[in-house]
Amino acid sequence: MAPIDEKDPQPLTSLERISRRVFLTRAGAAGVATATAAVAAPLSAQAQAPTAAAPTEAAAVPGAVPVTLKVNGSTHRVMVDPRATVLDTLRETLSLTGTKKGCDHGQCGACTVHLNGRRVNSCLLFATMHQNDEITTIEGIGTPEKLHPMQAAFVQEDGYQCGYCTSGQIMSAVALLKEPVGADDASVREALSGNICRCGAYPNIVAAVQAVRHMA
Amino acid sequence: MQDQAQKAVTESRIIGVSTPRIDGPLKTTGTAMYTSDHNFPGLVYAWPVIATIASGTITSMDTARAAAMPGVLAVYTHENIGPLYRTPPTQGFSMIIDERRPPLEDNVVSYYGQYVGVAVASSVEQARAAAEAVKVTYDKRSHNVEEKLIGTPIAEPGIKKGTARGDVTSAFKNAAVKHDAVYSTPNETHNPIELHASVAVFKDGRYTLYETSQAVVNHRDVMAAMLGVPPENVQVITRFLGSGFGGKLWPWPHAMLAAATARNINRPVKLVVSRSMMFQSVGHRPAIDQQIQLGAEPSGKLVALGHHYVNHTAMEAEYDEGCGEATGFLYSCPNLAVTSGLVRRNVGVPTAMRGPGAVPGLYALESAMDELAVKLKMDPVQLRLLNEPDKDESNGLPFSSRHLKECLTVGAEKFGWAKRTPAVGSMKNEDGATLGWGVASCAWGAMRIDTEMSVELLQDGTARVTCATQDIGGGTYTAIAQMVAHETGLPVAKVNVILGDSALPPGPISGGSWTTASVTPAALDAAHHAVQTLLVSAATFPNSPFKGKKPAELEMVDGTVRAKGSATPQLTMAEVLKGANVKGITGTGKSQGTFGAKEEYSFHSYGAQFVEVTWQPEIARLRVSRVVTVIDGGRMLNPRAARNQIEGAVVMGVGMGMLEGVEYDRASGAPINASLADYIVAVNADCPHIDVTFLDYPDYKLNALGARGVGEIGLAGVAPAITNAVYHATGIRVRRLPVRIEDLMGAPMHLA
Ligand code: FES
Ligand code: FES
Repeated sequence: MAPIDEKDPQPLTSLERISRRVFLTRAGAAGVATATAAVAAPLSAQAQAPTAAAPTEAAAVPGAVPVTLKVNGSTHRVMVDPRATVLDTLRETLSLTGTKKGCDHGQCGACTVHLNGRRVNSCLLFATMHQNDEITTIEGIGTPEKLHPMQAAFVQEDGYQCGYCTSGQIMSAVALLKEPVGADDASVREALSGNICRCGAYPNIVAAVQAVRHMA
Repeated sequence: MQDQAQKAVTESRIIGVSTPRIDGPLKTTGTAMYTSDHNFPGLVYAWPVIATIASGTITSMDTARAAAMPGVLAVYTHENIGPLYRTPPTQGFSMIIDERRPPLEDNVVSYYGQYVGVAVASSVEQARAAAEAVKVTYDKRSHNVEEKLIGTPIAEPGIKKGTARGDVTSAFKNAAVKHDAVYSTPNETHNPIELHASVAVFKDGRYTLYETSQAVVNHRDVMAAMLGVPPENVQVITRFLGSGFGGKLWPWPHAMLAAATARNINRPVKLVVSRSMMFQSVGHRPAIDQQIQLGAEPSGKLVALGHHYVNHTAMEAEYDEGCGEATGFLYSCPNLAVTSGLVRRNVGVPTAMRGPGAVPGLYALESAMDELAVKLKMDPVQLRLLNEPDKDESNGLPFSSRHLKECLTVGAEKFGWAKRTPAVGSMKNEDGATLGWGVASCAWGAMRIDTEMSVELLQDGTARVTCATQDIGGGTYTAIAQMVAHETGLPVAKVNVILGDSALPPGPISGGSWTTASVTPAALDAAHHAVQTLLVSAATFPNSPFKGKKPAELEMVDGTVRAKGSATPQLTMAEVLKGANVKGITGTGKSQGTFGAKEEYSFHSYGAQFVEVTWQPEIARLRVSRVVTVIDGGRMLNPRAARNQIEGAVVMGVGMGMLEGVEYDRASGAPINASLADYIVAVNADCPHIDVTFLDYPDYKLNALGARGVGEIGLAGVAPAITNAVYHATGIRVRRLPVRIEDLMGAPMHLA
């Protein structure tokens, strides 16, 4: 399915065209990127995040503190609540919504990102404590047009159903490639057991990971 | 019932062929937009205040401290939330909601975790802190979260009679071989990995609501009724759903809180339900006690089947699980009765969970069949084969397509069932661990729901398909694209599918495994109409090479238009549209629901589950090691996605059999294991080796594709096949799910 092009003159529905116009006029320059990404192109969710909007928005939040985060090779200076996790900062402040929240307690793995190349649960990290770390999210490893081999393998092997755990599964799987994990399926199952897939696509997830490992 | 306009589609280069999902590149790159991914300028966050008692009334709410905290915009309680109405009665598939009481309607609390307020603030952290700072004073009453159901007071109007035939009481009394036992299943929660969420945008009297919904059309109707605005003022959008398993079929109170706060403060509001709240206020499969009475002749022929169940419901809802769903037609039996009752508990409102009724019902029935086989000293597969009916004995209708016997025999063959020795603990694997082998049959109803669809053929050579229905993970986007590709000859990559929006042509709920059967005929119909109009255009535009031909003399093959039976001249779809200077040509399609129509056939899917458990009594380790599943689910339109669904359902069945169950704290009435660390679902390492076979008998009586749907059937029968295997390995019959290690501690060691 081709992502919906936001420049496509065909509105999804008349009401969405109304909302889009309303947002464009209401949001002002800082908000434009966010508004168009969220409203005009709901399916594609433009991979390049509309970070320009974030600092202005966040500055209005009382009690916010400045942080500098290095995400996917770019440096972002933003204001966040001192209690904000890396996960909420990615999703709510930087609009990098590819990383998902499934529990907020380190129990599901949906929020898995790489911190200096190692997989971590971003819901368990405070943003203020990771200002010097290299954070990599699902948006940083590939795009719909240029998939990372692990992403391509998940498509090929149908390694998902609803897709909600998928960002976390793929980030875990990519990190796993560099970990001392046994060659057999059982070892992969064990190493990926921190990433719950309630849809139960486990056999296909293992198949995708093994396909990439065999390629290497 | 069958859509007479459509001929059976028997041959296709794309239908029935494994097709990678068209939304795969979006899902694997984090670019598929789920509900809580929507951010807007000026967006603020809502966090609910929850009741910390299970029964009583609120005497006062002190919101002053919360309201004064940094970033807090508003704190609402039952005193100031503003108008929220109850919905009118359900009509068909509209106005369906399980928790009819709007949130914050009054000061009454009837379950732990009920919303009693909501805080709104600039950041999610501030909203949460404010919600937790609200001081609520209660007049507490005693609550009831008692686990035992049968034998406790039944709610009005008492015991209900379900399907019945013959005289089950005397037939059971006089039966040569009898079995009578009670089977219990706990409160199970759906726990999709996507948290329930609402992002509400209110502008000029209109609501745009991004919701986690398996049914956006009903969601729109319910929200409009509860907010007190006309339905055209509400649009509900669910582009991608992080699955639901029934838990997201009908709206839950957080959606009204988000919409009402957006209205009240006139800013977009995001409310994401926390994982612990997902054990409280977004539904669950209720706890159930089921008594099964089986009577048989010494030959194994069933003569009596009594199925009497009681499920818990909430104080303010009458949720009936419907456990007799499959009981009336699964086996031939002249004397049969199903009865049911509800008992009230101070729990959140229950709702449909994957395979409602049939899944827990079959756990009881198929466990009882296994126990009967033991009493009869008969092979459990044989017992089932012996009781095959030749019509649906609950209503006298012929089966549209039923191959349960073949599921059992093919499954037995694949599993190696002939090698089974029936004595408890008599089988070992090469490591010396004890093996247990169990079997169960399964069934799930099939039907169609009214669907409308629109297909637009565009000058850029693509087709654009729209329907309000949702893709919740089953592959609806891809199935629809396959239909349009089949009808137009365009490659799947040229078909764009837009779903999950109540403003689009009305589509069915994503539930009951009915979506595929409902949307695919409508997609074919819409594409057919679009192509017919394209042919008219091709025959009539100025300078057309087909000038003078009648549209009926033209055909569209592989995306190009030509005269029937002649390869030249031919024009691509894009050339026709450009020649005619038409931007796009639209065809609309419909498929009629079977719901409520006069039935001519009994429509069901069937299956057989064969399970191997491995038991190591020395270390009390029990694993489900191998599952063979044979499914008679009609034609598989996309076998790859269908297999994935069945495997996933088996994984959920491992959870149901071995892991899942909500425990209530007697003191507080709270669901006490309300997290993914304490309510255990199957992880990758719990996944057994799964072998799925589809019999692939198209059910053309249901629709032209012969497709029935596979969302729930794979879960049915897994749990009883597990407990039957556990009995075979250990000699212990577990009649209360899930199987716990402590249940097996009494298993004799000498069997090791
Ligand atoms: S959201 Fe971080 S582990 Fe679940
Ligand atoms: S694909 Fe749905 S949770 Fe994994």
